[in-house]
Amino acid sequence: MTRSNPTRIAVVLLAAGTVLSTAACGLSGGAADTKEAQRTGRVSGEITFRTLQLKPTFTAYVQGVIDGFEKRYPDVKVTWEDVPGDGYNEKLVADAQAGSLPDVVNLSTDSFQLLGDRGMLADVAALDGASAKEYVPGAWEQFKLPGKGDSVYAYPWYVTPEILTYNRELFEKAGLDPAAPPTGVEQFFDYAERIAASSGGRYTAFMADPKGRLPGDWQKMGIPILSEKRDRFTFDTDQAVRWVERMKDLYAKGAMPKESLLKSDDINQLYGGGKLVFGPGSPGFVKDIKQNAPQIYAKTQVAGAVTGTLGHIGIYAQSLGIRKDTEHVDAAAEFAKWVTNGPNQVEFSRKATIYPSNAQGLADPFFSDRGDGKDAETLARAVGADQLRTAALDANTPVQWTNQVGDAVVREVQKAIKGEQDPRTAVQKAQEAANKLLAAAAAK
Amino acid sequence: METGTGLPHRRWWIPYLFLAPGLAMVTLFSLWPFVNTVVLSLTDAQILRGGSFVGLDNYRRAFADPDFWVATGNSVLYLLVVVPCLVLLPLALAVLVQAKIPGIGFFRSAFYTPVIASAVVVGLIWQWVLRSDGLVNTVFQRLHLVSEPVPFLTDSAMLLVSAMIVTVWKGLGYYMVFYLAALGNVSATLHEAAAIDGAGPVRRFFSITVPQVKPMMLLVGTLSAISALRVFTEIYILGGESGGPGGGARTLPFLIRQVGLGFSGETGYASAVSILLFLLTLVFSLLGRRLSKGDEG
Repeated sequence: MTRSNPTRIAVVLLAAGTVLSTAACGLSGGAADTKEAQRTGRVSGEITFRTLQLKPTFTAYVQGVIDGFEKRYPDVKVTWEDVPGDGYNEKLVADAQAGSLPDVVNLSTDSFQLLGDRGMLADVAALDGASAKEYVPGAWEQFKLPGKGDSVYAYPWYVTPEILTYNRELFEKAGLDPAAPPTGVEQFFDYAERIAASSGGRYTAFMADPKGRLPGDWQKMGIPILSEKRDRFTFDTDQAVRWVERMKDLYAKGAMPKESLLKSDDINQLYGGGKLVFGPGSPGFVKDIKQNAPQIYAKTQVAGAVTGTLGHIGIYAQSLGIRKDTEHVDAAAEFAKWVTNGPNQVEFSRKATIYPSNAQGLADPFFSDRGDGKDAETLARAVGADQLRTAALDANTPVQWTNQVGDAVVREVQKAIKGEQDPRTAVQKAQEAANKLLAAAAAK
Repeated sequence: METGTGLPHRRWWIPYLFLAPGLAMVTLFSLWPFVNTVVLSLTDAQILRGGSFVGLDNYRRAFADPDFWVATGNSVLYLLVVVPCLVLLPLALAVLVQAKIPGIGFFRSAFYTPVIASAVVVGLIWQWVLRSDGLVNTVFQRLHLVSEPVPFLTDSAMLLVSAMIVTVWKGLGYYMVFYLAALGNVSATLHEAAAIDGAGPVRRFFSITVPQVKPMMLLVGTLSAISALRVFTEIYILGGESGGPGGGARTLPFLIRQVGLGFSGETGYASAVSILLFLLTLVFSLLGRRLSKGDEG
């Protein structure tokens, strides 16, 4: 044996390793060809159920739901895994890539879109079409995908509606009537201007970060976000420019905390500290404030969300997706339906500040009780439920408005708010960037 | 060829057996991801969507992308400002705390504290200091030095400067320890001899201390250059996830994270930008090497 052999072998091994790693680089065709599971009528087998950060607060509730199901279907064994919120989506992506998604999995709007679009979720409308009528229409419709017909890719689970929360005392100090909260975007800005004029810098009206306001504000103003064919962004309008101009003007006048433009401020802290007039628009926040800043809670007033010309809010539901190639499709589908049924969702809503997507659940008197009309938490629940009954999809963020599109638009708008760019140019450039991203996504 | 150790020659593979676990780890966690990144940079892969080969398209796209050039400019500027500060200031600090006086241990520990502080704590402290209603701005306004708050965190250029300050602040104690070790090796007799010849402390510092710690200065320069090119945390904790208004304070790692993460993340393009960052780092590392070689020569 000559001395060069080990070197030669090492070179060969390295080359082989390179070739192997190249082959494993994800250059194959994705998961669209995954075989769809078919119902057999036999509810049995061992399924996995993944939730998003429900342990330990809701361990007893979830375990109770699982036990109830296993009692009803003794041939099914449900293995529950709960994953922390941080990195939930990253874990989903990794599992999807490895082909190891759980049979029943909690999905948010964006993760549902991605997995559904990649053909990794079962069509629940095909599996269980009769279930549609059990959910609030807006919630069921939400899990359809553009270009995929009437297929629905997840069971709607719990919903959190948008509401308006504000500090009554600061409202009065600014000479505003707490009984007449703003209902339109322009009116909201007018109020903010008055708050800025009277606060003397001691408090501000709302957060400047455009990411939290777009495209919602534009939709509420009646600005067309997409063309009719939904293949092109069309928000570059005088109204959108006017919106940016007002944001810029209000920012300069001190209606928003300066650092909130870049999202480095914590809205809960500011509102809880009595430095912000409008709090976050979610009912869960009212509960947090009650616990963490009782003195501000006592001054907190709740009203319907600003809806503008649309007149209603969107619907953003958590959902339960079924893995497309699950071995126990009957058990998985029945279990998802069980978790999202009326009684189970109402019980969940009593333990957490969430709302049922289930029509029967939402009709429960618990959600129409306004108490004496003074307690913010009770009111928030009733106001939120009211909003949900009329919620419609046209107020939702369109699928085409991806995170990347949002970021690109926000970057241009931020420059304009800071005064580094003219508002008209900002809207123009934002639309160009958004259309470029949309075209690139369509080409793939 | 016989080795004369008595080991049968054909057992040449035994050393490799011992090396195997280490080699396997390096292959799995360094070599393979690197090769993977190179390959991905030549595809249009997205998260969850296997890409197809697109040649050098991603690189062409990067060179035509204004965001890429802004990020590259910011990264290089970061390096040019931060590296001299991190080479010189810790040396000065080390010389100061080298003195054997009572209580100096406290100062050494105090200067080292920022190194072990968590990024979240550092972020909160500096936000509190630099906000428009923070410590610095309040002092400035009370002293009537400025009429409007200085936008330390809301202006791209100022945000970059603020992040540089935090990087230098965090690095001072770390590199000070390097210099303390080097200063310990500087011969005291040389100092004594020079003092007898009439050299003052300044002259002795430049003529004796600096030449003796020069290799350490080059090492610190190279290490701090590499970490300056990788800067992400400081900008993120001070300026939020957009990287300054309009993303004007984004560095290359910031850009990589933005284009590569999330459900619509473009793995292929992010990989290409990563490779370009790698090449940039390589250039500066080689430059450091060249400098140190020239020094030895």
